[in-house]
Formats: sequence, C-alpha cells, structure tokens
Amino acid sequence: MAEIDLSPITRIEGHLDFKINVEEGKVTDAKAIGALFRGFEIILKGRDPLDALVITPRICGVCPTSHNDASARALDDALNASIPENGYLMRSILLGVENLMSHAAHTYVLFGPDLANKKYEKHEAYPELARRFAPITGTSYKGAVFARIKLDEIFAIFGGKHPHTTFVPGGAPVRPQLSDITKALSIFMQVQDFLENVTLGCSIERWLENRSLKDVQKWLEEDERHANSDLGLFIRYGPELGLDKLGRGPGNFLSYGVYAQADGKNWLPAGFYDGKHHTLDQSKIEEHIKYSWYTGYEGGRHPMEGITEPYYEEGEKYTWAKCPRYDGKPAEVGPLARMIIDKDPLVLDLAKEYGPCVYTRVLARLHEAVRLAAKIKEWLLEIDPAKPFFGSYERPSNVEGIGLTEAARGALGHWVRIRDGKIDNYQVITPTAWNVSPKDSNDVHGPIEQAVIGTPVEDEDNPIEVQHVIRSYDPCIACTVHVITPRKSYKLKVV
Amino acid sequence: MVNVVWMQGATDNGCLVSFLNMQQPDVYQAIEKLGVSISYQNTINPTSGKDVIATLEKYIAGEEQLDVLIIEGAIPRGPNGTGMACFIGPKSFAQWISELAPQAHYVLAVGTCAAFGNIPAAEPNPTDATGVQWHKTEMGGFLGKEYRSKAGLPVINISGCPAHPDWVAQTLVAVLLGKNVELDKYNRPKDFFGEEITVHDGCPRNEYYAFKVAAEKFGDKGCLYMNLGCKGPHTHSDCNRRLWNRQSSLTRCGIPCHGCTNPDFPEGSMPFFQRRRLVVEGWKVVPYIIGSGFMKLAKPERLKNE
Ligand code: SF4
Ligand code: SF4
Repeated sequence: MAEIDLSPITRIEGHLDFKINVEEGKVTDAKAIGALFRGFEIILKGRDPLDALVITPRICGVCPTSHNDASARALDDALNASIPENGYLMRSILLGVENLMSHAAHTYVLFGPDLANKKYEKHEAYPELARRFAPITGTSYKGAVFARIKLDEIFAIFGGKHPHTTFVPGGAPVRPQLSDITKALSIFMQVQDFLENVTLGCSIERWLENRSLKDVQKWLEEDERHANSDLGLFIRYGPELGLDKLGRGPGNFLSYGVYAQADGKNWLPAGFYDGKHHTLDQSKIEEHIKYSWYTGYEGGRHPMEGITEPYYEEGEKYTWAKCPRYDGKPAEVGPLARMIIDKDPLVLDLAKEYGPCVYTRVLARLHEAVRLAAKIKEWLLEIDPAKPFFGSYERPSNVEGIGLTEAARGALGHWVRIRDGKIDNYQVITPTAWNVSPKDSNDVHGPIEQAVIGTPVEDEDNPIEVQHVIRSYDPCIACTVHVITPRKSYKLKVV
Repeated sequence: MVNVVWMQGATDNGCLVSFLNMQQPDVYQAIEKLGVSISYQNTINPTSGKDVIATLEKYIAGEEQLDVLIIEGAIPRGPNGTGMACFIGPKSFAQWISELAPQAHYVLAVGTCAAFGNIPAAEPNPTDATGVQWHKTEMGGFLGKEYRSKAGLPVINISGCPAHPDWVAQTLVAVLLGKNVELDKYNRPKDFFGEEITVHDGCPRNEYYAFKVAAEKFGDKGCLYMNLGCKGPHTHSDCNRRLWNRQSSLTRCGIPCHGCTNPDFPEGSMPFFQRRRLVVEGWKVVPYIIGSGFMKLAKPERLKNE
C-alpha cells in the first residue's frame, strides 16, 4: 500500500493538505487536512457587534462578500432591521458579481488547467485543450483574467473596492446615481462578450433555453460555434476524459438559499435534498469534533451553542476542521447543490444521467454562472436611484441573530449571540467546512473524502484524477476558520 | 529574467485576489516585457506537491537567484513556538520564510497581515502571529530589526487590507528598474503612504467635512467622521486619490474608512463605527473647535444630509 502525500495542493484558494492511501491503483482512504488556523471566533468575543461586519469578511479574500452578506443578515436579524428594496438589490448585485467572478476564476484559473494535464497528451482534443486552458498562456485563461478585472470594476462602483467592501444591517450604505448604473451596465456588456463569444458560443438567452440533455445535444448540433465554444468542448470531451466517472459524493445536497428579495423570498431557494426535497430547518445543523482537534463536547452541537476550544492530542483526531452535518448527514454544498434544490430542469437531468460527479459539478457551476449573469443585468435595471437604499436598525443589548447565505462554493452561515451589547459568541460555518469536513461522530467521511475514496489513480506521480475530484468542489481553505494542522512528528498543545 | 516567489501564510488570499487586478502593467506585460517569472504562487501554480517543494528548496540552496520574495499573510509562531498553525508541505510557513529570506534580493511584505500582523495577530493572538519585520507599530516582527535583504534593504512593507495592486506593481517596477524607493517610518513606500497623504485627501465628502455636516446614519450624504467612525483623516494612504479598481473607494460608497493600512489595524480602529477622537493627531484643538463653529455658520444651503 502506498500512502501518497499530495501536499501542498495548489490552485485552490488557500491551504489544503491531502493524504490518500492507494491500493492496486485505487484510493482506499482519504484525509483532507486544512493547514491554517487564525481563530476569528476567539478574536471577535467581547467586541461591538458591528465590528463583525469588518472582521468576518477577512476570513476569506476570495469570497469576502458572502461573509459581508452573512454578517449583515445575522445583524439584520438580531438588530431588527428594515431594508428597502434597493438595499436588497444592491446586496444581490454585489454578491452576484463576486460569485460570478469566483465561477470564472474557478473554471479557467483553478480547474481548467487540469484539462491540459499531460495525462491527456494522447487524446485528439489535447492540442486544443492546451491552447485554451494551459495556465497563463491559454487563450481562454487569458480572457478570463481580464473578464475578472471587469467584474471587479462593477463591484467597486457600488462597493468601493474589491476585495473587502463592508455591508451594514438595514440595507446598503451606497447611493448610486443613474450614471453609476449605466456605467456598470456598460462594463457588464464587456464581460458578456467574453461569456457569449468564448465560453458559450451563443447568447445568454440561447443557452438558457436548454432545459434538458436532449436540448443540449440539439444545441451542440445546431451551430459550429456552440460545439467549439469552451463549454461545447467540455460537454463533448468531459466524458471521454472520464470526468463523469470521477468524484461521486454522498448525494446529499444543502443550500441555505441566497439573493434575498424584498418579498421575503430568496432568488435561489433554501433546502436539503437526500433523494427527496426537504425544507431547510437550520436547527438541524450540528458540528461534530470527534476527529477534529477540539474539545468540550461529544456528538454534535448547534452553532448557536458552538464551542471553539482547540485541543491537540496524538490519536484518532486528524484535522482541525470541525465537521458540520445536517440532520446527522454529510452534505455537498455549492452550485450543484443550489441548482438541484432550485429544481433546475437541466441540472436535474444531468444529475440523473451522470450522478453527482466531477462532470456534473463543473457543468452545474457553468450553468449557474450563465443564469446569474442574466439575473445581475435584471437587478441592475431594477435599481431606482430616487428611492432609499438604507432603512433602519435598532441596538438591543441581549439578542441572537442568524445570517444564512451562499458563497460561490456553497452554504455559509454566521450565528451571533449578543449580551450586554457586546458579542458573546460568534460562530461561522463556511462552505468548505461542509465539503472538506472529516469523519463525524459516526465515522462517516465528509463529502470530498467520500468522493475521493475509490478514485482510480493511473500514475502515482501524477494523481490528476484525485486533483480533478478535489478541485471540482472549488475548496477554499482560506475559508475554513477552525483549521490547523500539527504534523504527527510534532507534539502540540493549543491553548 | 526576474525570479519571483510569492509565499502565503496566515492570509485570506485577499491580497493575491487584489493583485490579480493589476492593470499597469498587467500580468502579461509583467511577464513578457519585464521578464517577471513567478516560480511559485500557490493559487495559480501549474504544479502541485513535490514539484513545489523542489522549486523552493532550489532557492534555499542558492542554486538559483531569488530576486524578489513576496510574502502575503502573517507568520504564526505558535502553537508553542512550532509555527505549525500554518504550513506548506513538510515545513511550517515560518520555517520556509526563515530559510528563503536570507537568499532574497528584495523582500516585499504585501498586505497588513504580512507587514504588521493584522487580524491574525489581534489580541488574544491565538497563534502568536506577527508581521515579517514589524509587530504592529514596533519594528522586529519575525525576521528582527537587523534583517537586510541581499540588496541591503529592510523588508518593504506594502500594507492594506488588501494592498492596492498599484502599490505592489509600482513598487515592483521601481525595484526592478533599480530605483531607490523612499520609505516612511514604517518602511512603506512614501509615494503611497507618506505623511502628507491621507484617505481624507480626495474624498468627495470633504465639503461636508469642512462645513461640519455629519452623516447621522448609513446612506446619508454627509461626512462619515463624527457619527460613523471614518478613520480617513487618521490613515495615511492614497485610496481616494488613486481609487480602487479604477472606479471608487469605500468613503465614496458611504462606508467609513476602517484604517486598514495602519500598523495598528484592526485593534486601533475598533470599534470601527465609532469616532476615535474628536480631533485628528497633530491638529490644534482649540482653534479647530472654534473654527468648526464658524464653518457651521458658513454652511451653504445646498449641503444637506438627505
Ligand atoms: S491584509 Fe487583508 S486582504 Fe491582505 S491577506 Fe491580510 S486579511 Fe487578506
Ligand atoms: S468621510 Fe472620512 S475621508 Fe471622507 S471627508 Fe469624511 S472623514 Fe474625510
């Protein structure tokens, strides 16, 4: 048996170490190990509740706006905020732009280069894949680098800067003028050019007419530009590269719902799916620590009662990532989960045909990106600069608040307890905590671990299959707040 | 060719994300025209695992010249002095930095985390984190006061949460052209962080500030200093002159400056939404207060919060 140490895993956002055991060309065991602990929850204790608005986005510079949104929503809830329609729109636009940017970056900068891996050298599509997706030099890679910058410009028009704007309870602090909106729309058209000419080979509207695999087949045959677009290429060659056989996760999906609207609904709904659709009940969320270097309780614990007490011992514990479970089950979060819970017909069809694999996950992300692009344009047009963007909030001294939202890579929750006007407890469960979680109290592996176990490894020096699986989840370890990794040879006690 | 290694420690990746917005030069011009070769940067690296370790070891052994070492993120020395709160492959981040720094011709600490410690080093500093050559307002940090890179310079600090891509890019270009980059008292390039520059400078709310029209709540038009805790006048950086993403700035969008380039960020700025003191350091209190009274009287009608 060979234990392969893949550390450090690159082209993910942040620090992730990963260990797999390979027997007879197959992964038999997997350990996902985060490599960074910064202790945000400890730092927030005793601070003014509004300080969380500035501190928590610094958990992750890749998806800071989801933390902006979660912290603002937690305080909306705790501080009894009222939010005007423009306030909702502004938050949705900022979060939507960031999520679109994340999807672009993931597709082209983080995941795409693997399609130009030497494993596929002999495949007929290789020269074309390499020409487009090779890191830095790939033509599509390069296009995406500049499209990202444009999206950041739109973000800055309303948020001041990216990364790291600040959201506030009660709506949005900005007061854009009509000319800001028209400018944003104009920059957006440049991004749309890239999306339509390079990624899709057709208009956004045309792609969104595809509601089943049969439609997609027709779309491919309809026009050469469709078949030869980046998406067309991926749809055609993905299964040939074996991406439909890799990375089968647990098949449970969770979404907190996102892009809150003035009518009290989310554009993309919340829910849990385990073969059946369930409405989300956040009281069913618990964090386990049996295999994580924490102490203070057994079994699972709801985040509002969460304890973050680091404790290292040599033994069965193997990571400092806590282990979130929904109704006791591991759950995949991210674009595939959101699309399934939204009952998106195309993604449901894909999932039925191919299962929750690398191929489906990547396509679900791209499909969501296209839907989101169309929606951002709508939101921009809906803003009414003559109406208010900010409503109000109060300052009660003893309250609790919950802020649930979605980052590009999945469900993000903030739970805050305020006592005597100060933060008494602040707990964050990041999307990556869900996907990268270790085994729980019942010894059930987390989603990525499950997806990696069983993966065939052709060449132990180039375990690209495993990397496809890990990257398909778009893990963001900068996100995993509770992570630290002392190595076996070190005796550590974290107090 | 200019060999650049970009190491990430206790960071949120924000400074890298910000750097990718670089426009003059853009990433491609930097590579093609300035000959910059990024030998390792985890988020964009083509290879993983062993290859990464081998590249870094080559620089440590001095087999290849390390022209610029960019460090993003604070350096955790904990737990218990092991540095293992953050590691890359077989070594702690701290260990890598202590081995790479002596080989580097220039060291840039990018972002407030690397420059001064930032949030990871905020009390109670759970991982005993510190900046590369500074700990908050004190020189020393991880490498110590005496450290000089091979070019004879201390670590060049480019603070900011995140650092502005232009601050990094222009410093890099200047260094590559062999120019002497003048530094301020925190070893930051004076061009961006000098004594005479503040965030207040260039803020479109200046007129409101001058006539003492204070925003009462978020979304008001007035100045964010009195009631919403703007740190602009206390913060030496050119955000409102240079603008972010070539478009805007926090104060332009109604968000008070949080003072994120300051060495004492975040503690020195908390509570973020409350005024630090009435009068900015260096201002003459009595004339200022008397003057304010007159300015209120002088206020033109058109300056209103709503
Ligand atoms: S300085 Fe700020 S943006 Fe930069 S790495 Fe640190 S937390 Fe992130
Ligand atoms: S909002 Fe801040 S930076 Fe702008 S004028 Fe007021 S104090 Fe100065």
